[in-house]
Amino acid sequence: MDEASARLIGMALAIGLGAIGPGAGIGIVFSGAVQAMGRNPEAEGLIRTYMFLGFALAEALFIFALVFGILIGFGIV
Amino acid sequence: MRNRLVWIFLALLVGGIVLQYVFGIKMSREDIHISARAEPLACIGGERVGEACSPGTILPITNSLVMTILVDLVLLLVIIFGARNMQLVPRGFQNVVETVVEGFYNFALGIDRRNVSKFFPLPATIFIFFLVANMLGLIPGVGSIGICVPAEPEAAAAAPAAASSSVFSGLPGYCGAGNILIPWLRAPAADLNVTFAFALVAVFMIEYFGVQALGLSYFTRFFNLREGALGFFVSLIELISEISRIISFAFRIFGNIFGGEVILIVMSFLLGYVLPLPFYGFELFVAFIQSVIFAVLTLVFMSNAVVAHGAHEEHGPGEPAHGETQASPA
Repeated sequence: MDEASARLIGMALAIGLGAIGPGAGIGIVFSGAVQAMGRNPEAEGLIRTYMFLGFALAEALFIFALVFGILIGFGIV
Repeated sequence: MRNRLVWIFLALLVGGIVLQYVFGIKMSREDIHISARAEPLACIGGERVGEACSPGTILPITNSLVMTILVDLVLLLVIIFGARNMQLVPRGFQNVVETVVEGFYNFALGIDRRNVSKFFPLPATIFIFFLVANMLGLIPGVGSIGICVPAEPEAAAAAPAAASSSVFSGLPGYCGAGNILIPWLRAPAADLNVTFAFALVAVFMIEYFGVQALGLSYFTRFFNLREGALGFFVSLIELISEISRIISFAFRIFGNIFGGEVILIVMSFLLGYVLPLPFYGFELFVAFIQSVIFAVLTLVFMSNAVVAHGAHEEHGPGEPAHGETQASPA
């Protein structure tokens, strides 16, 4: 296996494996928020704020995976 | 009217399928050309070599720069014509502009009721710019019509120009073998420079509002020396996550929009005319939701930044103040 093909596999693995956790996490964040809004519609604004905060924190991990995938794939590191 | 549109659409679809499967007119591998960076159309102060500018270039005129200016012009025209002779009771085009602004304003009210008038301009700018930019970037032809330039010399030398097997190669406007296509236009969010600039501005304004509201004590959330070793460690994590916000802001929308374009290209290659359809609808949704997320996250981080660290107030940032209860389903 030469370097180019190893880089391709590494890029695909980085993005693919990195998407597993945040995918599940974002699902949990939004499902919890929707349930909370259903139980207490008055607190929707507050819930929405924290929902987006949690979404951003979970999404950030995938962004890191994406960045490193791009760095590996285009031969920057 | 709608019925006629559906029939035209179906006729186009059937015609495309016939073209693909009866006459074999479809994309081949060499039609797929993906560039992660925006390609320069012209280089001020330098020469264009293949897909890049030669060193010493002062300002590369990239296709995403052209598109950004186009989007700005569209927005300016819309505002000029929408806000010309404004009336208290809006009618016509003014209604459309007011609906967009007011819809986002009401959404922002639900997130931070107290400071919304101070925060609103930047998130609204981000939302409207990226909404229009992403939608315009999805118009067919934006990433596929352009100029043909010879490929980079060393790359062309490495792979000698083979006879193109694409069925499009005889058609006018097709770049022959050894040439690459540089599109005139490219979605602004598919260029990391644009999204990174927006992310820098957004994070800078978040810090600015934090310092404006709390003074220098704002920085105690990053260097917390009062609450022992654990507090200091937690504040350092806070600092790192604050810096990583720039990266995540920039790469979130870049990855979504650029990835969407790549998916559309690959799906057209796999099964032309049919498979891209659901993905195109999905990309329309992504174009909207990513602009909302960028703007709302800016707003949420801003409203978090103006709350003093450790101040556990009874009213959350989004809770309606007294006397302003939202319409509650009884």
